[in-house]
Amino acid sequence: MSSHSNPSTAATPLDLSKWRSLPTRLMLVGGILSLIGLLVPSYREQFSFSWLVSFMFFLSLCLGGWFMVLVHHLFDASWSVPIRRVTENLACQVRWMAVLFVPIALFAPRMYPWMELSANHTPDHALHAKGALLNIPTFYLASIFCFAVWWYYTTKLRFWSLEQDRTGSAECTNRMRMLAYFGVFAFAITLTLGVILWMKSLQHQWFSTMYGVYYFAGSVWLTIATVYVITLVLKRQGPLREVVQETQFYFLGSLLFAFTVFYAYIHFSQYFIIWNANIPEETFWYVLREKGSWWQIGLLIVFGHFFLPFLTLLRIDVKLSWLMIPLGVWAWLMHYVDLQFNIMPILHPDGFVLHWLDIGSFAFMAGFMARNFMKDFAAYPAYPQKDPRFAESMGVYVAPASKTPAAKVAGGAR
Amino acid sequence: MSEVAIPPTLKIQAPPAELEREPLVLNERPPGWISDRITSVVEGKAPRWWWIGLSISVPLMVMLFCVLAYLISTGVGIYGNNQPIMWGWPIVNFVWWIGIGHAGTLISAILFLLRQKWRTAVNRAAEAMTIFAVMCAGIFPLIHIGRAWLGWWLFPIPNANSIWPQFRSPLMWDVFAVSTYFTVSLLFWYVGLVPDLAVMRDRSKTKIRKFLYGLFALGWTGSNRHWSNYEKAYLILAGLSTPLVLSVHSIVSLDFAVSQLPGWHTTIFPPYFVAGAVFSGFGMVLTLLIPLRRLCNLEEVITVRHIELMCKVTLAVGSIVGYAYGMEVFIAWYSGSPYEKFAFWNRAFGPYWWGYWTMIICNVVVPQFFWSKKVRTNMLVVWVLSIFVNIGMWFERFEIVITSLSREFLPSNWGYFIPTIWDILTFLGTFGLFFTLFLLFLRFLPMIAISEVKGVTPQADPHHPLGGAKPGGHH
Amino acid sequence: MGETSKPYGIIAEFETAAAIMHAAEKVRDSGFRKWDVFTPFPVHGMDRAMGLKNSKVGWFSFIGGATGYTSGMLMIWYLNAVDYAIPIGGKPMFSPHGAFPPSYELTILLGAFGAIFGMLFLNRLPKLHHPLLKHERFKLATHDRFFVVIETGDPKFSETETRALLESAGSKHIELVED
Repeated sequence: MSSHSNPSTAATPLDLSKWRSLPTRLMLVGGILSLIGLLVPSYREQFSFSWLVSFMFFLSLCLGGWFMVLVHHLFDASWSVPIRRVTENLACQVRWMAVLFVPIALFAPRMYPWMELSANHTPDHALHAKGALLNIPTFYLASIFCFAVWWYYTTKLRFWSLEQDRTGSAECTNRMRMLAYFGVFAFAITLTLGVILWMKSLQHQWFSTMYGVYYFAGSVWLTIATVYVITLVLKRQGPLREVVQETQFYFLGSLLFAFTVFYAYIHFSQYFIIWNANIPEETFWYVLREKGSWWQIGLLIVFGHFFLPFLTLLRIDVKLSWLMIPLGVWAWLMHYVDLQFNIMPILHPDGFVLHWLDIGSFAFMAGFMARNFMKDFAAYPAYPQKDPRFAESMGVYVAPASKTPAAKVAGGAR
Repeated sequence: MSEVAIPPTLKIQAPPAELEREPLVLNERPPGWISDRITSVVEGKAPRWWWIGLSISVPLMVMLFCVLAYLISTGVGIYGNNQPIMWGWPIVNFVWWIGIGHAGTLISAILFLLRQKWRTAVNRAAEAMTIFAVMCAGIFPLIHIGRAWLGWWLFPIPNANSIWPQFRSPLMWDVFAVSTYFTVSLLFWYVGLVPDLAVMRDRSKTKIRKFLYGLFALGWTGSNRHWSNYEKAYLILAGLSTPLVLSVHSIVSLDFAVSQLPGWHTTIFPPYFVAGAVFSGFGMVLTLLIPLRRLCNLEEVITVRHIELMCKVTLAVGSIVGYAYGMEVFIAWYSGSPYEKFAFWNRAFGPYWWGYWTMIICNVVVPQFFWSKKVRTNMLVVWVLSIFVNIGMWFERFEIVITSLSREFLPSNWGYFIPTIWDILTFLGTFGLFFTLFLLFLRFLPMIAISEVKGVTPQADPHHPLGGAKPGGHH
Repeated sequence: MGETSKPYGIIAEFETAAAIMHAAEKVRDSGFRKWDVFTPFPVHGMDRAMGLKNSKVGWFSFIGGATGYTSGMLMIWYLNAVDYAIPIGGKPMFSPHGAFPPSYELTILLGAFGAIFGMLFLNRLPKLHHPLLKHERFKLATHDRFFVVIETGDPKFSETETRALLESAGSKHIELVED
C-alpha cells in the first residue's frame, strides 16, 4: 500500500492548539443566538423547531456510537478495538442529550399539533386511534424512559471497558457482551420509540413501518463518517498514533460505503412503496415535501446523500485518501438536510428556509457536544489496551496463553 | 493491508485462555490433509446413506415431473387457488424456496465482505443450496401463470403481436430479479469452484475424471498473477451479490407491498423480507450441514464453532424478523386504519390463527433458544430447532399470502383456502428435485471450498509459526 | 528433459508460506519479468512480494454495470413510453423510480459478467494446455506445495545463476520444465 495518500501517515503531530477554543466559541455564539430565539416570543416557534433538528442530529451521533459499540461486542470483532474508546465516549454523550431535550419538552405543546388537540379534548380520528401512545403524560414518560435506558447502557458499557483497562480480566468482556445482547433489543425499541414520538408524530396522521429503520440508517451513516474523521485527527495528534492502522480506516470507509447504500435502500423503499400504492393517508407526507424548494431538497438528498458518496467511495483507494475528510463534512451536511426535510416542512411548508436560529442551535450543540466529548476522551485511556482482541487487531501473533490442545478448546464450555 | 511496524513500547498480551478464538480447522491440520479429507467424499465409494437418500429423492422428483405434466395439460384448476385467493400455495412455495437461497449468497458474499473467515467451511454447500433452491422456486411462478408455454412473453422479446411487457408491474421486476439472481449465483459458485476443480483434476486417477475436471478447471494453475485477478473478481462479485441478494427479496416483497391490500402494503416489507429470507436460509443450511458434517467425516472442518456462529446469525436475523412483526402490528394499530387493524386481528385470531401462532413460535420464540451456549453446542437440538425455523418461515409466507387475500376490502369477496392433493404433491416433489441435485453435488464436487479453507489456516499465514515464520521475526 | 526444444523454465519448490514469500521477494528484487509464483491458495501479501499492481478487473465490472443500468433505463423508456405506451394505474409513462428495479438488476448482471469475463480475459483463461500442467511434481501446486517458476524467455534468465538464486532462497527441489 504505497501509492495512497493517506494523511494519517504523515509524521508530524497535528498542532491543534489554535482550534482548541473553537467549541467554546461555538457554544458562546450559538448560545447567544439560541437565547434570543428562546426569549423573544416571535422567534420561539422557529427556535423550537431549529432546536429539534439539531437535537435529532446530535442524538444520531450518540445512538450511532452506541450502536457501533454494541455490534463490536455482538460480532466479537477485533478490528474495531482501537477505535472503541471513541465510540464509547461518543455514546456516553447521550446523557447530555437529556439536558438538551429540556427546551423540546417545554415547547412540545406548541410544536406537536396532536398535543394541542389532545389538550383541548378535540382529537381527530387519527389521534383518537393513537391516544394510548400519543397523550401528554405518555410522551414525557416515554422520553424519560428512553434517556434512562440510553444512560444505563452507555455508561455501563464504558464502565466495564475501563475496568478491563485496569484488570484485563475476561469477566469484563463477558459483562460487556451481556450488555450488548440485551442492549441491542433496547436499542431497537428505544430508537424507534424516540423517533416516533419526536419526529414522526409531528404529523401524527402519517404512519410508516420503516421510519425507525430510516432514522437508524441515517444515524449510523453519519456516525461512521464522524468516527473516521475523529480517529484520523486522534491518530495525527498522538493518542491513537500507535494503534490505529490502515485496517481501521479501510474498514470504516467500507462501512460508510455500506451504509450509504443501506440508507438509500431504506429511503427508496419507503418512498417507492408509498408512491406506488398511492393511498392518500400516506402520500400527504411526501406531497408536503414536494412543494416549493422542498422538491429540490428531496433531489439533493437523492444525489447528495446517496449518489455522490456512493460514486466517491466506489474506488478502493478512496477509503484511505484525503477525500474522506471532505466526505465526512459532507455527511454532516447531508444528514442535517435530511433531518430538515423530515421536520421543517411542518413549520415552513412553502420551502426550505435556512434560519439563523438553525445555525445558532446547531453551533451551540456542536460546541457543547465537542467540549464534553473531548473532556471525556482526555479523562480515560485512549484505547482499550487490555482487550482480549487487542493483539488480533494489531495483526501480530502472540503465543496463546493456554497450551491445551485445540480440539479440547473447541469442544469445551466457555 | 500493509503491516505497520508495531512500536516496542506497545505492550501486547495474549487474550485470557477462556476468550481465545477457537481454530477454524481443528488439530492444526495441514493443507494437504484438507485436500485429502474433503475430496474423500467425492473419491471414495458412494456410502450407503447416499444411496438411501437418492432412492427417496429421485422418486419424489419423478413425481414432481408427473404432477407438472398433469398440471400443464389440465390447468391451474387442479390447485386450490380460488377467488379471492388467486395466489395460493405456488406463491407461498415460491417465496419460501427463494428465501432459502438467500443464506447461500449471504454466506458467500456478505460474510466475505465482512471478512468472516469461518464462511469458507460452509459457503460451497450453501451456494449449491442457493442454486437448487432458486431452481425449485422458479418452477412455481412459471407453472401457475396458466399457459406455461407462453412464459417467454415475460421477456422483452419482439413478437408477432408487437406488444411489450409492462415494466410497471412488480411481477415483471421479479422476472429480472430472479433470473439475474440465478445467473449470478451460478457464476459466483462456478468461479469459486475453479481452483477446486483444479485440485480434483490433479488428483484424478481415471482418464475421464481428469478430462472432465480438467475441462471445467479451465487450465487453472494456481498462478499468483491469476490469483490476483481472481481475488479481485471474487471481491467484486461479492460486492455485486450483496445488493443483489437484498434486491431480490426486496423485489419479491414489492409484489405485495406496492399493492393497497391491508397486511401487504407496509413500508418495512423490503428489509423485513430480506431478514426473513436469510433466517430461513440459515435454518436450511443448519438442517443440511449438521448431519453432513457427521456423515462425511468433516467435523474438524465444519466445527462446533461454525455451527455456533450460524446459530448466532439465525438468532440475529430472527430477532430482526421479530422487530418487523412487532412494527407491523404496532403500525397497524398506530395507523388508525380499520382495515389494517382488522387484517392483523384476523391473522392472529381469524380462521388462520394456527398459522400465525406457528409462525410466531417458530420464528420469534425458537431462535431465542440460541442465546444459550448449551443449546448452540448440542447438535441434535440445533438440528431440531433449525427445522422449526424452516417450518415457521413457510407459515410466514402462508400467512402473508393467504390471510390478506382471503379478507380484502369487500366482505362479499371473502373466502377460505383449502389446498388440493396436487398442491401438496407439487410441494413435496420440489423437495425431491432439491435433494436429488444436492446429493449429486455432494458426490461430484467438493462440498467445501478446499483452497479457501486452506487459505484461512495458520499454515497459510506467512507471519504465523505454522506458516513457516521464524519466532519473533517480522519478515 | 526436452533436449529438442528449449525448456519452458525453471521450477523451484518450497514448503511453507513464509518461504515462498521470501523467495518471491528475492526474485522480484533480482529484476525478473517473466516469472510467477504458484500456490494452493492465495497467499496474503504475495502481490506486494511479487511487485504486482492492483488488478484491473474492477474496470471491466464498472463498464459492465454502467452499460446494464443505461440499457435497462433506455429499454424500459422505449418499450413502455414510446413504442407501446400502456397507461397503468395513473402512473407516468416513464418514471425513473418505476423503471429502477429492472435496470438495477441489469446493472448487477452485466457488472458480474464484466467481473468474471474480465478476470478470465486478464488471466488468458481458459487455456487447457500449459507446460506446467504436464510436469508431474507440479500437481502438488494445488495440494500443499508452493512453486516459483522463472521462464527461460526472461532476458535475465541463465540456468546456473537462476538455479543458484533459487537455491539461496531455500528451495531444496529445483528442476527444469520442458516446453
